[in-house]
Amino acid sequence: MKVLRSFALWCVALLAVVVFSIALRPSGSGALARTQHLETLVRCPACVDLSVAVSNATSAIAVRHEIATKVRQGQSDNQILTSLESVYGTSILLSPPASGLGVLLWIVPLLVVVLLIVSALRLARRR
Amino acid sequence: MKRSIMISSLAAIVVVVALSLFLATRHPVLGATEAPSPLLGKAAPQLSGTKLGGGTWSLKSELGHVVVVNFWASWCGPCRVEAPELSTFAWQERNKGVDLVGVVFNDSLSAAAAFAAQYGSLYPSVIDPGGVIANRYGVTSPPTTFVINAKGVVEATLLGPVGAKQLEGVVAHVKATS
Amino acid sequence: MTLTWLGRVCLYVSFVGTLGGIIEQVRALRQHRTSRAIRWAALALFGIVAAVGVMEFALITHNFSLAYVAENNATFTPLLYSITGMWSALEGSLLLWVLLQSVITFGVLYYYRRDRGDAVVGWATTVLFGIAAFFTLLMMGPADPFLHNAALVHQGAGPNALLQDNPLVAAHPPFLYLGFVGFSVPFAFAIAMLLTGRVQDRWPLEQRRWTVLAWGSLSLGIVLGAWWSYQVLGWGGFWGWDPVENAALLPWLTATAYIHSVIVQDRRGLFRVWNLSLAIATFALTILGTFFTRSGVLVSVHAFSSSTLGPLLIGLFFVVVISGAGLLAWRGDRLRAPVGVDHPLSREGLFVANNILFVGFAIVVLLGTVFPLLYQAVNGTQVTVGTPYFASVAAPVSILLLVLMAIAPLVSWRRADARVLWTRTRVSAWAATLTIAVLLIVGIRRPVELAAIFLAVLVAGAALRTLRGALLAAIRRGSWRSVARAPATGGMIVHLGVVILAVGIVTSTTYVTRTEVTLATGQSTIIDGQLIGFSGFRNVSDALRSATQLRVSVDGHRLLPAVTTYNGRNGQTVGTPAIDSNLTRDVYVTFEAVGGNGSTSGAQVRNNLPAGSVVLGVTVEPLLAWLWVGGLIIGLGSALSFFRRRYNDEVTT
Repeated sequence: MKVLRSFALWCVALLAVVVFSIALRPSGSGALARTQHLETLVRCPACVDLSVAVSNATSAIAVRHEIATKVRQGQSDNQILTSLESVYGTSILLSPPASGLGVLLWIVPLLVVVLLIVSALRLARRR
Repeated sequence: MKRSIMISSLAAIVVVVALSLFLATRHPVLGATEAPSPLLGKAAPQLSGTKLGGGTWSLKSELGHVVVVNFWASWCGPCRVEAPELSTFAWQERNKGVDLVGVVFNDSLSAAAAFAAQYGSLYPSVIDPGGVIANRYGVTSPPTTFVINAKGVVEATLLGPVGAKQLEGVVAHVKATS
Repeated sequence: MTLTWLGRVCLYVSFVGTLGGIIEQVRALRQHRTSRAIRWAALALFGIVAAVGVMEFALITHNFSLAYVAENNATFTPLLYSITGMWSALEGSLLLWVLLQSVITFGVLYYYRRDRGDAVVGWATTVLFGIAAFFTLLMMGPADPFLHNAALVHQGAGPNALLQDNPLVAAHPPFLYLGFVGFSVPFAFAIAMLLTGRVQDRWPLEQRRWTVLAWGSLSLGIVLGAWWSYQVLGWGGFWGWDPVENAALLPWLTATAYIHSVIVQDRRGLFRVWNLSLAIATFALTILGTFFTRSGVLVSVHAFSSSTLGPLLIGLFFVVVISGAGLLAWRGDRLRAPVGVDHPLSREGLFVANNILFVGFAIVVLLGTVFPLLYQAVNGTQVTVGTPYFASVAAPVSILLLVLMAIAPLVSWRRADARVLWTRTRVSAWAATLTIAVLLIVGIRRPVELAAIFLAVLVAGAALRTLRGALLAAIRRGSWRSVARAPATGGMIVHLGVVILAVGIVTSTTYVTRTEVTLATGQSTIIDGQLIGFSGFRNVSDALRSATQLRVSVDGHRLLPAVTTYNGRNGQTVGTPAIDSNLTRDVYVTFEAVGGNGSTSGAQVRNNLPAGSVVLGVTVEPLLAWLWVGGLIIGLGSALSFFRRRYNDEVTT
């Protein structure tokens, strides 16, 4: 009983801290935050796998300007990424589109986890 | 029991066979990104100079032909992958009104000459002392390729190593729209 | 010509040694006598050491009669970079690989010399000889490091600029390769155990001992690689989910799963078949990794030039997996443990979860790495799989792993007792909650950061508690050595290193700020609380390179970010970043551009800025140095873990 009480007390303390951290968290919805987030999703055209957020190649700077302009114009994230894709090709996005073959990238991990959990459960149930 | 180990081993074998065959038959990935450089739609900047093997070359004298300009360097890895492809392209297009010229980017004369000799370049390359031509074209990292139409206007900019097929496609598009 | 023939003869000698070793071992096994293979191992080792000696001699004396030296060395290359030039390119890197493989083969034979007659040792060393033979054959055939340079050259090309501007080139590859090569030992033992049917006794723990050595080396190698990239590549980052980086990560993931899983085997005899599979998979992934690095199939800044080795390495990968899977299918059933996991909520159950997480993550990383090839084969167009994808998978996996690290060391075997678990975690739970409360008050409020620190305190608590237990037991026994040899000591120290590393990664990536600032000579500015000042140019020129350095001061410390041009045929201009580092933050400064009309430095020119002004890239990353500290502690912990004793010893003491 004493153990249960001390655990419950801690749970309350943790809950309080979690509530405060959610309430006090910095808002990430400003235009600047959106621009910065989009920059991490677009590859620098002259690089192999660096995003425009970290590369200082001329083409990367140009793409950063484009993203900033489009965010100011009020375009949605999806619109901006699609427009960049139509100009530079699909390989400009650092994460392949979830349609077509790209679906594999999201389904296979889930399948793998399910498979492993199932085999682990079967192992546990044996004998 | 024994069956589950058999099944998983067989599954592993099938996956590995497929993966091995797939990987063993891959060729190095070649693909350039088409980029909207500020030069697009404008007259191509002046490009003239001494060629690597001697003699001069000037963009002005090529008016009427489609010109593909490729900035390369001997120390640039993707340029090595690209060089044979460019030679193939240059040879195929030599009588079709398409000229290919290279520009040496930020490199020493001996290194560039050795590179051209090693890869048997079937197209001329212009040296660019001081990086003046590179600056005019806004090139900061090789390989960068520009396609200039017969009227001397820049129609396409490609960043990264370009393959012969991709270049053929771009040039065909430029010819069709100019 | 003489050096070419000398080098080749040494390789032939080494190859004869490996062949002789295989033949001797097989004969000894069939005739049931003690084997004399250690002599052949000594011959193979002598051969490769001599070959390495020839290459290093050629590099240090700048002897351009070898094509390899002409491509990777110049008369003005400093001694350190001449020595490291051996592994700067593909053919020479194989010399390093075979050297380490031969050292390990000899080491294993020597370590088990009293068990020379044991079939497990016999088969294991046969496999090791076979692997060494394969890689030596590669050098005798398609990847010849001693190719003669027919042209008479007076000057070589020099190494790639990025491989000669930082001394870490001397540390990263050897540790990395020691890790890769080291994984051939648990693989060899797995094959041997399957062939002889003996999965019990001391062999799993012996196999684990060598895996820990390889794992520790690979971990250090990966962290050193990240540190090196960070110091040299100019973007202030340390990991890009690049195909070659992933290639090194994949075997690390399965090896980590194996190291943990084999604890359960040692203690309770479970997971035997699974552990054998992990040992085989780890080595298979190592070979797959070398394929990615050397075949040119995937584009990467870290890859060697493409070569004809691709199909050969895939062939080895194929053989490794087929023989492993085949043996498992044939023998696996006989080796299964008679008992199972009693209850999912127990320490064994948590280890199962651990296995699932690591193996699942490895499969996802492999898929992501190979996906661009798959996409191009199917659709004909290019696609990139980069940081956003890998990070979105890595984040939940890391959180779950931290949770496991926080509770598993304290959960009972066979069946978890919630009351006992709470009494053990109570102190760290309160400490973690209070830490978060304090951070909230102080102003650190990003949820990702808070979650990471919360879990870090919990993990540290679990580790320290376990260490305290070992310490108290040692005091009771009056023996200090027993602390080091206690089963969990090395591992808990590694866990402490991991949380320090994790906190470093999360904090530096969450709170990173990147700015570009233009400064005239003599001007300073404040960025993110740091005082940055520019006081002038400085030109440095010697036989090796010419550089334009900027005199920058960060918080009073002098830094010299530069643009450097290396002489030689591979004359390359690269940016040389400068870093001011302490335990609270790293300030990373790069020379981006110079104002005015022209420059001889090789830096970008911006005509809209006045001459004499410069554009600096300033990246501030808090707690970045914790990554390297964490990595060091991981290395120390794994060194201790090498000497761990068995659980059975603990019972009898």
